[in-house]
Amino acid sequence: MAQKITKFQKTWIMRNPIVQFFKFIWLNYKILSVVAMGHGGTREKQL
Amino acid sequence: MAKIVVLGAGISGHTAVSYLRKDLSSEHEVVVVSPNSNYQWVPSNIWVGIGRMKAEQCTFPLAPLYKKKNINYIQAKVTTFHPEGDSEINKGFVKAEYVVGDKKGEVVKVDYDYLINATGPKLNFAATEGLKPGTFGTTSVCTYDHAQHAWKDLKVQIDRMKKGEHVKILIGTGHSKSTCQGAAFEYIMNVEQELNRHGVRDKATVTWISNEYEVGDFGMDGLTIKMGSKLMPSKDLIEMVFADRGINVIKRAGVHKIEEGKAHYETLDGEHHVEEFDLAMLIPAFSGHGFKAYDKAGQDITEKLFRGFMVVDADYTPRPYEEWTVQDWPETYQNPSYKNIFAPGIAFAPPHAISKPRTSKNGTPISPTPPRTGMPSGISAKLVADNIVHMIKNNTQEIHHLGSMGNMGAACIASTGFGMLDGRGVTITTNPIVPDYVKYPETGRINSKTIGDLGLAGHWVKLALHYAFLYKAKMKPFWWLIPE
Repeated sequence: MAQKITKFQKTWIMRNPIVQFFKFIWLNYKILSVVAMGHGGTREKQL
Repeated sequence: MAKIVVLGAGISGHTAVSYLRKDLSSEHEVVVVSPNSNYQWVPSNIWVGIGRMKAEQCTFPLAPLYKKKNINYIQAKVTTFHPEGDSEINKGFVKAEYVVGDKKGEVVKVDYDYLINATGPKLNFAATEGLKPGTFGTTSVCTYDHAQHAWKDLKVQIDRMKKGEHVKILIGTGHSKSTCQGAAFEYIMNVEQELNRHGVRDKATVTWISNEYEVGDFGMDGLTIKMGSKLMPSKDLIEMVFADRGINVIKRAGVHKIEEGKAHYETLDGEHHVEEFDLAMLIPAFSGHGFKAYDKAGQDITEKLFRGFMVVDADYTPRPYEEWTVQDWPETYQNPSYKNIFAPGIAFAPPHAISKPRTSKNGTPISPTPPRTGMPSGISAKLVADNIVHMIKNNTQEIHHLGSMGNMGAACIASTGFGMLDGRGVTITTNPIVPDYVKYPETGRINSKTIGDLGLAGHWVKLALHYAFLYKAKMKPFWWLIPE
């Protein structure tokens, strides 16, 4: 049985432009922290 | 002076070209060979497919930009690879056939010092009998052209519903080995929202069909997502979203045949079923382009360069799922036989899937192939460009920039409804893309960097990325400050 999104969550959080504005800033920060903070290899360097 | 040839001008090819031109002086030649006349920001095609965005808003012509930036542009499709040259040319070259203009049909040899194969996937509609956009009630959003037709077809169905007719809409994967479930997920959610906007939602049965074992697999073996303070499997998140929007789900299904208004599919338990539809958008299988390669003497050496997609520095040793490691995944996207050839983005042959491979009782493999679209395409293209620039500037064969999908983050920003105030989105970030259960035994990924969120902000983020990435692709001032 799937969990449900409550009416409260939908109306007052997910569709609330003021709450979502701050979410927008937070999401951008999170995305940048995940994507722009570098990447690399997984294998040990062979000497 | 070096000559770098880039095959393809999609997200991966165009990213590589942009960085090569930015970081190399004009004495070095950068050449693009692509059959396409336009750059397209593919992630926004789903909005073209619901009529909320024009194709012109997601595309721009390549020729004027390349002319302005001193990039040679050959509008042609590659036919064969000759990494050792031939009796006439003593260096690697590709043969390409012009697709437009006076030279249409003419074959030209394009020689290179470095070659980037960013030809992406072939949309292999033919792998599913009867699956072809525009026939039997099926559409596609894989290209902006397909998406424009998808909107026309959807509009016809909306008009029928407005007249009181009931319509069945089927969206998902059109082959047992399809990938790119994310695009289909976005499209089904946007279609559902548009039906609401047009006041006809109660006249439609909307069904998701997928080769995933569980919804939310996305070809990445699913994710454990941090939602607020809780950890939640992506399966639960997507099930919750589908239930909220009244979308039916058919999973573990390999579509193998399309007839007028009917999708034939087999499930993992070996049973065969038929799902009827009035409109279907089914993502096809992706495959390589079937390129051939020849050595200096003209002998076929295709297996050195291709195994479907291009062979790179991955470990292709066949192993069971339990023995897969992140070390199998490529780090440099360099061909092991010809060190001046690279294949970032979707063009490289993955060592194996990410999701657990599953086979039906009849022996049909039904599971997603690994996604390499979007961010991994851009990131791998940039690191390939960085490595080539380093090799040229330092006259070395050393490779410094590494980027394995087992040590790389990505964000999947899925719009689930268009609108500045009534839009919706599902935002998922993951790090790494390929789970590393040795480093992160709990979930295979870094919990603090594998997060999820539902709400309007996700739609705003996706819209912001649309404008940001088109700005970047047009190489406007300081474009390089925008990360991949």
